Amino acid sequence: MTRPQGVGIGWRPEIAGFVAELPGLRFVEVVAESLAPDGPLPPGLAALRERDVTVVPHGVRLSLGGAEPVDPARVTHLARVAELVDAPLVSEHIAFVRAGGLEAGHLLPLPRTREAVAAVTANVRRAQQELPVPLALEPIAALFDWPDDELDEADFLTEILDATDTELLLDVANVYANARNRGRDPQALLDRLPLDRIAYVHVAGGAEHGGLYHDTHTDPVPTEVLELLGALCAGRRPPPLLLERDGHYPPADVLRAELDALATAAGHPVVT
Amino acid sequence: MSTNRPVGPTPPPGAAGPVGLAARQAALVAALVAGAPLPAGFATDRVDAARRALLRKRAGEVARHWPLLAAGLGDAWPATFAGWAAGRPTAGSLRDGWDLARALRDRGTLPQLGAEELAAREAAHRYDGRNPPRRRRLPALARSGDAVALQLAGRVRLLRPTRR
Repeated sequence: MTRPQGVGIGWRPEIAGFVAELPGLRFVEVVAESLAPDGPLPPGLAALRERDVTVVPHGVRLSLGGAEPVDPARVTHLARVAELVDAPLVSEHIAFVRAGGLEAGHLLPLPRTREAVAAVTANVRRAQQELPVPLALEPIAALFDWPDDELDEADFLTEILDATDTELLLDVANVYANARNRGRDPQALLDRLPLDRIAYVHVAGGAEHGGLYHDTHTDPVPTEVLELLGALCAGRRPPPLLLERDGHYPPADVLRAELDALATAAGHPVVT
Repeated sequence: MSTNRPVGPTPPPGAAGPVGLAARQAALVAALVAGAPLPAGFATDRVDAARRALLRKRAGEVARHWPLLAAGLGDAWPATFAGWAAGRPTAGSLRDGWDLARALRDRGTLPQLGAEELAAREAAHRYDGRNPPRRRRLPALARSGDAVALQLAGRVRLLRPTRR
Protein backbone atom coordinates (compact mmCIF):
# COMPACT_ATOMS: atom_id res chain seq x y z
CA MET A 1 0.00 0.00 0.00
CA THR A 2 3.06 2.30 -0.12
CA ARG A 3 2.52 5.33 -2.36
CA PRO A 4 4.62 5.56 -5.53
CA GLN A 5 8.14 6.83 -4.90
CA GLY A 6 11.27 7.57 -6.87
CA VAL A 7 11.65 6.38 -10.44
CA GLY A 8 9.45 3.55 -11.67
CA ILE A 9 8.74 1.84 -14.96
CA GLY A 10 5.67 0.50 -16.71
CA TRP A 11 5.75 -3.26 -16.13
CA ARG A 12 5.23 -5.17 -19.38
CA PRO A 13 5.69 -8.92 -19.91
CA GLU A 14 8.31 -8.26 -22.61
CA ILE A 15 10.63 -6.48 -20.17
CA ALA A 16 9.73 -8.43 -17.02
CA GLY A 17 13.27 -9.84 -16.79
CA PHE A 18 14.83 -6.40 -17.07
CA VAL A 19 12.48 -4.89 -14.50
CA ALA A 20 13.07 -7.76 -12.05
CA GLU A 21 16.77 -6.90 -11.93
CA LEU A 22 16.46 -3.20 -11.13
CA PRO A 23 17.88 -3.09 -7.60
CA GLY A 24 16.48 0.28 -6.50
CA LEU A 25 13.02 -0.06 -8.01
CA ARG A 26 10.22 0.84 -5.62
CA PHE A 27 7.25 1.20 -7.94
CA VAL A 28 5.80 0.00 -11.21
CA GLU A 29 2.59 0.49 -13.11
CA VAL A 30 0.72 -2.30 -14.86
CA VAL A 31 -1.96 -2.04 -17.54
CA ALA A 32 -5.05 -2.89 -15.51
CA GLU A 33 -6.83 -4.63 -18.37
CA SER A 34 -3.89 -7.04 -18.77
CA LEU A 35 -4.47 -8.64 -15.36
CA ALA A 36 -7.01 -11.32 -14.48
CA PRO A 37 -9.16 -9.97 -11.63
CA ASP A 38 -8.83 -13.14 -9.54
CA GLY A 39 -5.15 -13.62 -10.25
CA PRO A 40 -2.75 -15.19 -10.31
CA LEU A 41 -0.44 -12.32 -11.09
CA PRO A 42 2.11 -12.89 -13.82
CA PRO A 43 5.17 -14.42 -12.08
CA GLY A 44 7.38 -11.36 -12.62
CA LEU A 45 4.81 -9.06 -11.09
CA ALA A 46 4.16 -11.40 -8.17
CA ALA A 47 7.90 -11.41 -7.44
CA LEU A 48 7.91 -7.60 -7.33
CA ARG A 49 4.97 -7.62 -4.90
CA GLU A 50 6.93 -10.00 -2.67
CA ARG A 51 9.71 -7.39 -2.64
CA ASP A 52 7.07 -4.82 -1.57
CA VAL A 53 7.39 -2.92 -4.82
CA THR A 54 4.30 -0.73 -5.22
CA VAL A 55 2.11 -1.71 -8.19
CA VAL A 56 -0.29 0.89 -9.61
CA PRO A 57 -2.99 -0.44 -11.97
CA HIS A 58 -3.30 1.88 -14.95
CA GLY A 59 -6.57 1.59 -16.86
CA VAL A 60 -6.67 2.31 -20.57
CA ARG A 61 -10.17 1.22 -21.58
CA LEU A 62 -12.62 2.59 -19.01
CA SER A 63 -13.56 5.42 -21.39
CA LEU A 64 -14.29 7.81 -18.52
CA GLY A 65 -14.83 10.58 -21.07
CA GLY A 66 -17.52 8.70 -22.93
CA ALA A 67 -20.94 10.35 -23.02
CA GLU A 68 -22.46 7.05 -21.97
CA PRO A 69 -22.18 5.81 -18.37
CA VAL A 70 -18.94 3.96 -17.67
CA ASP A 71 -19.34 0.18 -17.99
CA PRO A 72 -19.82 -1.14 -14.42
CA ALA A 73 -18.05 -4.40 -15.29
CA ARG A 74 -14.93 -2.47 -16.28
CA VAL A 75 -15.01 -0.52 -13.01
CA THR A 76 -15.41 -3.77 -11.07
CA HIS A 77 -12.42 -5.21 -12.89
CA LEU A 78 -10.27 -2.21 -12.00
CA ALA A 79 -11.41 -2.40 -8.37
CA ARG A 80 -10.59 -6.11 -8.16
CA VAL A 81 -7.20 -5.62 -9.73
CA ALA A 82 -6.44 -2.81 -7.26
CA GLU A 83 -7.17 -5.23 -4.41
CA LEU A 84 -5.20 -8.00 -6.06
CA VAL A 85 -1.98 -5.95 -6.10
CA ASP A 86 -2.80 -4.05 -2.89
CA ALA A 87 -2.52 -0.80 -4.81
CA PRO A 88 -2.36 2.60 -3.07
CA LEU A 89 -4.17 4.20 -6.01
CA VAL A 90 -5.27 3.50 -9.58
CA SER A 91 -5.11 5.72 -12.64
CA GLU A 92 -7.04 6.29 -15.86
CA HIS A 93 -7.27 8.87 -18.63
CA ILE A 94 -9.41 11.86 -19.43
CA ALA A 95 -10.41 10.43 -22.77
CA PHE A 96 -12.90 8.20 -24.50
CA VAL A 97 -12.04 5.02 -26.39
CA ARG A 98 -15.38 3.91 -27.84
CA ALA A 99 -18.66 5.38 -28.96
CA GLY A 100 -21.72 4.27 -30.86
CA GLY A 101 -20.72 0.61 -30.51
CA LEU A 102 -17.29 1.09 -32.12
CA GLU A 103 -13.89 0.75 -30.47
CA ALA A 104 -11.47 3.51 -31.42
CA GLY A 105 -8.47 1.43 -30.37
CA HIS A 106 -6.84 4.45 -28.77
CA LEU A 107 -7.40 7.28 -26.32
CA LEU A 108 -9.36 10.06 -28.00
CA PRO A 109 -9.63 13.67 -26.81
CA LEU A 110 -12.83 15.21 -25.52
CA PRO A 111 -14.24 18.49 -26.66
CA ARG A 112 -13.22 20.91 -23.92
CA THR A 113 -16.80 21.92 -23.18
CA ARG A 114 -18.96 22.14 -20.05
CA GLU A 115 -20.94 19.20 -21.41
CA ALA A 116 -17.79 17.08 -21.54
CA VAL A 117 -16.70 18.20 -18.06
CA ALA A 118 -20.10 17.04 -16.79
CA ALA A 119 -19.82 13.69 -18.59
CA VAL A 120 -16.34 12.93 -17.24
CA THR A 121 -17.30 14.08 -13.77
CA ALA A 122 -20.35 11.81 -13.72
CA ASN A 123 -18.32 8.82 -14.86
CA VAL A 124 -15.48 9.45 -12.43
CA ARG A 125 -17.96 9.66 -9.57
CA ARG A 126 -19.55 6.39 -10.66
CA ALA A 127 -16.11 4.77 -10.68
CA GLN A 128 -15.09 6.28 -7.35
CA GLN A 129 -18.11 4.71 -5.65
CA GLU A 130 -16.73 1.26 -6.32
CA LEU A 131 -12.97 1.78 -6.32
CA PRO A 132 -11.30 0.88 -3.00
CA VAL A 133 -8.49 3.44 -3.51
CA PRO A 134 -8.08 6.97 -4.92
CA LEU A 135 -8.18 7.53 -8.66
CA ALA A 136 -5.64 9.70 -10.46
CA LEU A 137 -6.57 11.14 -13.86
CA GLU A 138 -4.19 11.58 -16.77
CA PRO A 139 -4.64 14.15 -19.55
CA ILE A 140 -3.77 12.60 -22.91
CA ALA A 141 -1.69 13.61 -25.91
CA ALA A 142 -3.99 14.49 -28.79
CA LEU A 143 -3.15 15.13 -32.42
CA PHE A 144 -6.30 17.18 -32.98
CA ASP A 145 -8.74 19.36 -31.07
CA TRP A 146 -12.51 19.55 -31.37
CA PRO A 147 -13.87 22.55 -33.24
CA ASP A 148 -15.89 24.04 -30.39
CA ASP A 149 -13.64 24.12 -27.33
CA GLU A 150 -14.94 26.43 -24.62
CA LEU A 151 -12.06 25.94 -22.17
CA ASP A 152 -8.32 25.71 -22.59
CA GLU A 153 -6.53 22.54 -21.57
CA ALA A 154 -5.49 23.80 -18.13
CA ASP A 155 -8.95 25.07 -17.16
CA PHE A 156 -10.63 21.93 -18.52
CA LEU A 157 -8.34 19.74 -16.43
CA THR A 158 -8.63 21.85 -13.29
CA GLU A 159 -12.43 21.86 -13.46
CA ILE A 160 -12.55 18.07 -13.74
CA LEU A 161 -10.05 17.45 -10.92
CA ASP A 162 -11.81 19.96 -8.66
CA ALA A 163 -15.25 18.54 -9.35
CA THR A 164 -14.17 14.94 -8.71
CA ASP A 165 -11.51 15.50 -6.04
CA THR A 166 -9.09 13.35 -8.01
CA GLU A 167 -5.32 13.47 -8.15
CA LEU A 168 -3.33 14.27 -11.28
CA LEU A 169 -1.27 11.77 -13.22
CA LEU A 170 0.76 14.27 -15.20
CA ASP A 171 2.42 13.05 -18.39
CA VAL A 172 5.16 15.53 -19.27
CA ALA A 173 5.54 13.99 -22.72
CA ASN A 174 1.85 14.65 -23.34
CA VAL A 175 2.26 18.26 -22.20
CA TYR A 176 5.20 18.60 -24.57
CA ALA A 177 3.34 16.94 -27.46
CA ASN A 178 0.17 19.00 -27.09
CA ALA A 179 1.96 22.31 -26.74
CA ARG A 180 4.35 21.62 -29.59
CA ASN A 181 1.61 20.41 -31.95
CA ARG A 182 -0.39 23.55 -31.24
CA GLY A 183 2.65 25.76 -31.72
CA ARG A 184 2.69 26.79 -28.05
CA ASP A 185 5.30 26.82 -25.32
CA PRO A 186 5.29 23.57 -23.28
CA GLN A 187 6.61 25.36 -20.21
CA ALA A 188 3.78 27.89 -20.34
CA LEU A 189 1.22 25.09 -20.52
CA LEU A 190 2.92 23.21 -17.69
CA ASP A 191 2.87 26.30 -15.48
CA ARG A 192 -0.90 26.60 -15.78
CA LEU A 193 -1.68 22.98 -14.80
CA PRO A 194 -2.83 22.11 -11.25
CA LEU A 195 0.58 20.77 -10.23
CA ASP A 196 -0.37 20.69 -6.55
CA ARG A 197 -2.56 17.70 -7.35
CA ILE A 198 0.20 15.51 -8.86
CA ALA A 199 0.14 11.89 -7.69
CA TYR A 200 2.93 10.83 -10.03
CA VAL A 201 4.35 11.70 -13.40
CA HIS A 202 4.59 9.80 -16.68
CA VAL A 203 7.54 10.19 -19.00
CA ALA A 204 7.65 8.55 -22.42
CA GLY A 205 9.40 8.76 -25.75
CA GLY A 206 8.07 9.91 -29.05
CA ALA A 207 9.01 10.89 -32.55
CA GLU A 208 8.11 13.31 -35.29
CA HIS A 209 6.09 12.08 -38.26
CA GLY A 210 4.98 14.51 -40.94
CA GLY A 211 5.65 17.62 -38.88
CA LEU A 212 3.71 16.41 -35.82
CA TYR A 213 5.13 15.05 -32.61
CA HIS A 214 3.71 11.61 -31.82
CA ASP A 215 3.74 10.26 -28.27
CA THR A 216 4.66 6.76 -29.42
CA HIS A 217 6.08 5.12 -26.29
CA THR A 218 8.30 3.20 -28.72
CA ASP A 219 11.02 5.81 -29.23
CA PRO A 220 13.62 7.38 -26.93
CA VAL A 221 12.62 10.16 -24.54
CA PRO A 222 13.61 13.39 -26.34
CA THR A 223 15.89 15.92 -24.69
CA GLU A 224 13.07 18.48 -24.72
CA VAL A 225 10.88 16.20 -22.59
CA LEU A 226 13.72 15.63 -20.13
CA GLU A 227 14.22 19.39 -19.90
CA LEU A 228 10.53 19.91 -19.23
CA LEU A 229 10.76 17.25 -16.54
CA GLY A 230 13.73 19.05 -15.04
CA ALA A 231 11.78 22.31 -15.01
CA LEU A 232 8.83 20.59 -13.34
CA CYS A 233 11.06 19.22 -10.58
CA ALA A 234 13.18 22.33 -10.08
CA GLY A 235 12.44 24.10 -6.84
CA ARG A 236 10.01 21.54 -5.53
CA ARG A 237 10.19 18.07 -4.09
CA PRO A 238 10.33 15.87 -7.21
CA PRO A 239 7.18 13.80 -7.70
CA PRO A 240 7.42 10.06 -8.35
CA LEU A 241 8.23 9.37 -12.01
CA LEU A 242 7.31 6.49 -14.24
CA LEU A 243 8.87 5.64 -17.59
CA GLU A 244 6.40 4.20 -20.10
CA ARG A 245 7.72 2.02 -22.88
CA ASP A 246 5.32 -0.01 -24.99
CA GLY A 247 7.27 -1.66 -27.74
CA HIS A 248 10.48 -1.64 -29.81
CA TYR A 249 12.20 -2.39 -26.52
CA PRO A 250 15.85 -1.30 -26.65
CA PRO A 251 18.76 -3.28 -25.21
CA ALA A 252 18.91 -3.31 -21.40
CA ASP A 253 21.77 -0.82 -21.15
CA VAL A 254 19.84 1.72 -23.25
CA LEU A 255 16.73 1.35 -21.11
CA ARG A 256 18.87 1.61 -17.97
CA ALA A 257 20.45 4.82 -19.28
CA GLU A 258 16.99 6.24 -19.93
CA LEU A 259 15.89 5.47 -16.35
CA ASP A 260 19.10 7.10 -15.09
CA ALA A 261 18.44 10.18 -17.22
CA LEU A 262 14.99 10.49 -15.65
CA ALA A 263 16.44 10.20 -12.17
CA THR A 264 19.10 12.80 -12.93
CA ALA A 265 16.65 15.26 -14.49
CA ALA A 266 14.35 15.02 -11.48
CA GLY A 267 16.89 14.69 -8.69
CA HIS A 268 15.83 11.20 -7.66
CA PRO A 269 18.28 8.43 -6.74
CA VAL A 270 19.04 6.08 -9.63
CA VAL A 271 17.25 2.71 -9.49
CA THR A 272 19.54 0.80 -11.82
CA MET B 1 -21.83 -1.55 -24.86
CA SER B 2 -24.99 -0.71 -26.75
CA THR B 3 -25.30 -2.09 -30.26
CA ASN B 4 -28.95 -1.34 -30.87
CA ARG B 5 -28.32 1.78 -32.84
CA PRO B 6 -26.87 2.30 -36.27
CA VAL B 7 -23.16 2.99 -36.57
CA GLY B 8 -22.39 6.65 -36.87
CA PRO B 9 -24.52 9.71 -36.46
CA THR B 10 -28.08 10.24 -37.46
CA PRO B 11 -28.45 13.99 -37.58
CA PRO B 12 -31.89 15.38 -36.88
CA PRO B 13 -33.51 17.02 -39.89
CA GLY B 14 -32.24 20.52 -40.45
CA ALA B 15 -29.19 20.11 -38.18
CA ALA B 16 -25.69 20.68 -39.52
CA GLY B 17 -24.36 17.53 -37.86
CA PRO B 18 -24.78 15.24 -34.90
CA VAL B 19 -25.97 16.95 -31.74
CA GLY B 20 -25.05 16.05 -28.20
CA LEU B 21 -21.82 14.56 -26.90
CA ALA B 22 -22.82 10.92 -27.46
CA ALA B 23 -23.72 11.42 -31.13
CA ARG B 24 -20.71 13.60 -31.76
CA GLN B 25 -18.33 11.07 -30.19
CA ALA B 26 -19.93 8.30 -32.26
CA ALA B 27 -19.52 10.34 -35.44
CA LEU B 28 -15.85 10.99 -34.71
CA VAL B 29 -15.07 7.33 -33.95
CA ALA B 30 -16.91 6.23 -37.10
CA ALA B 31 -14.83 8.69 -39.12
CA LEU B 32 -11.62 7.43 -37.54
CA VAL B 33 -12.16 3.69 -37.84
CA ALA B 34 -15.12 2.93 -40.09
CA GLY B 35 -14.65 5.17 -43.11
CA ALA B 36 -17.51 7.55 -42.21
CA PRO B 37 -17.19 11.20 -43.27
CA LEU B 38 -15.45 13.53 -40.84
CA PRO B 39 -17.88 15.82 -38.99
CA ALA B 40 -17.59 19.48 -39.91
CA GLY B 41 -15.09 21.72 -38.19
CA PHE B 42 -12.24 19.27 -37.53
CA ALA B 43 -8.82 19.82 -39.09
CA THR B 44 -8.77 17.12 -41.76
CA ASP B 45 -4.99 16.78 -41.83
CA ARG B 46 -4.79 16.35 -38.06
CA VAL B 47 -7.51 13.70 -37.96
CA ASP B 48 -5.82 11.93 -40.89
CA ALA B 49 -2.60 11.89 -38.88
CA ALA B 50 -4.49 10.43 -35.91
CA ARG B 51 -6.07 7.79 -38.16
CA ARG B 52 -2.65 6.74 -39.48
CA ALA B 53 -1.24 6.68 -35.94
CA LEU B 54 -4.13 4.45 -34.88
CA LEU B 55 -3.38 2.02 -37.70
CA ARG B 56 0.31 1.90 -36.72
CA LYS B 57 -0.68 1.19 -33.12
CA ARG B 58 -3.13 -1.50 -34.18
CA ALA B 59 -0.49 -3.07 -36.42
CA GLY B 60 1.87 -3.32 -33.46
CA GLU B 61 -0.76 -4.88 -31.25
CA VAL B 62 -1.83 -7.41 -33.88
CA ALA B 63 1.82 -8.29 -34.48
CA ARG B 64 2.12 -9.24 -30.80
CA HIS B 65 -0.78 -11.67 -31.22
CA TRP B 66 0.41 -12.91 -34.63
CA PRO B 67 4.20 -12.69 -34.45
CA LEU B 68 4.85 -15.17 -37.26
CA LEU B 69 2.36 -13.54 -39.58
CA ALA B 70 4.03 -10.17 -39.02
CA ALA B 71 7.53 -11.65 -39.27
CA GLY B 72 6.60 -13.43 -42.50
CA LEU B 73 5.57 -10.14 -44.05
CA GLY B 74 8.67 -8.39 -42.70
CA ASP B 75 8.99 -4.79 -43.83
CA ALA B 76 5.66 -5.09 -45.65
CA TRP B 77 3.78 -5.76 -42.40
CA PRO B 78 2.77 -2.17 -41.43
CA ALA B 79 1.53 -1.31 -44.94
CA THR B 80 -0.17 -4.68 -45.43
CA PHE B 81 -1.97 -4.35 -42.13
CA ALA B 82 -2.91 -0.70 -42.68
CA GLY B 83 -4.21 -1.45 -46.18
CA TRP B 84 -6.46 -4.17 -44.80
CA ALA B 85 -7.53 -2.40 -41.62
CA ALA B 86 -8.28 1.10 -42.96
CA GLY B 87 -12.00 1.72 -42.62
CA ARG B 88 -12.45 -1.61 -40.81
CA PRO B 89 -13.23 -1.27 -37.08
CA THR B 90 -11.21 -3.55 -34.83
CA ALA B 91 -12.65 -6.81 -33.56
CA GLY B 92 -9.71 -7.12 -31.16
CA SER B 93 -6.11 -7.92 -32.06
CA LEU B 94 -6.56 -11.69 -32.10
CA ARG B 95 -9.48 -11.60 -34.52
CA ASP B 96 -8.03 -8.78 -36.60
CA GLY B 97 -4.91 -10.85 -37.26
CA TRP B 98 -6.98 -13.95 -37.89
CA ASP B 99 -9.23 -12.18 -40.41
CA LEU B 100 -6.22 -10.64 -42.13
CA ALA B 101 -4.42 -14.01 -42.35
CA ARG B 102 -7.50 -15.59 -43.91
CA ALA B 103 -7.87 -12.71 -46.36
CA LEU B 104 -4.22 -13.07 -47.41
CA ARG B 105 -4.64 -16.85 -47.72
CA ASP B 106 -7.67 -16.37 -49.96
CA ARG B 107 -5.66 -13.92 -52.08
CA GLY B 108 -2.76 -16.36 -52.23
CA THR B 109 -0.39 -13.88 -50.57
CA LEU B 110 -0.09 -15.37 -47.08
CA PRO B 111 3.60 -15.90 -46.31
CA GLN B 112 4.78 -19.35 -45.20
CA LEU B 113 5.28 -18.37 -41.57
CA GLY B 114 1.82 -16.86 -41.48
CA ALA B 115 0.33 -20.00 -43.03
CA GLU B 116 1.88 -22.11 -40.28
CA GLU B 117 0.62 -19.77 -37.57
CA LEU B 118 -2.87 -19.75 -39.07
CA ALA B 119 -2.97 -23.55 -39.39
CA ALA B 120 -1.86 -23.96 -35.78
CA ARG B 121 -4.50 -21.50 -34.57
CA GLU B 122 -7.25 -23.14 -36.60
CA ALA B 123 -6.35 -26.60 -35.32
CA ALA B 124 -6.68 -25.36 -31.75
CA HIS B 125 -9.68 -23.05 -32.10
CA ARG B 126 -12.93 -22.85 -33.96
CA TYR B 127 -13.51 -19.37 -35.39
CA ASP B 128 -16.49 -18.46 -37.51
CA GLY B 129 -15.29 -14.96 -38.37
CA ARG B 130 -18.11 -13.32 -36.43
CA ASN B 131 -17.82 -14.48 -32.81
CA PRO B 132 -14.79 -14.88 -30.55
CA PRO B 133 -12.72 -18.00 -31.30
CA ARG B 134 -13.47 -21.02 -29.12
CA ARG B 135 -11.11 -23.75 -28.10
CA ARG B 136 -11.80 -27.05 -29.86
CA ARG B 137 -12.59 -29.96 -27.56
CA LEU B 138 -11.98 -32.67 -30.14
CA PRO B 139 -8.83 -33.46 -32.10
CA ALA B 140 -8.61 -31.45 -35.30
CA LEU B 141 -6.54 -31.09 -38.43
CA ALA B 142 -6.19 -27.67 -40.05
CA ARG B 143 -4.62 -26.69 -43.32
CA SER B 144 -3.52 -23.35 -44.61
CA GLY B 145 -1.81 -23.48 -47.98
CA ASP B 146 0.88 -26.14 -47.58
CA ALA B 147 0.91 -25.93 -43.80
CA VAL B 148 -0.95 -28.66 -41.91
CA ALA B 149 -1.41 -28.61 -38.15
CA LEU B 150 -2.80 -31.32 -35.88
CA GLN B 151 -4.30 -30.64 -32.49
CA LEU B 152 -4.66 -33.52 -30.01
CA ALA B 153 -5.77 -32.90 -26.43
CA GLY B 154 -4.95 -29.22 -26.77
CA ARG B 155 -1.43 -29.76 -28.10
CA VAL B 156 -0.76 -28.50 -31.60
CA ARG B 157 1.89 -29.92 -33.92
CA LEU B 158 2.75 -28.82 -37.40
CA LEU B 159 2.66 -32.02 -39.47
CA ARG B 160 3.83 -30.47 -42.65
CA PRO B 161 5.67 -27.26 -42.15
CA THR B 162 5.99 -25.47 -45.42
CA ARG B 163 9.40 -25.49 -47.06
CA ARG B 164 11.63 -22.59 -46.19
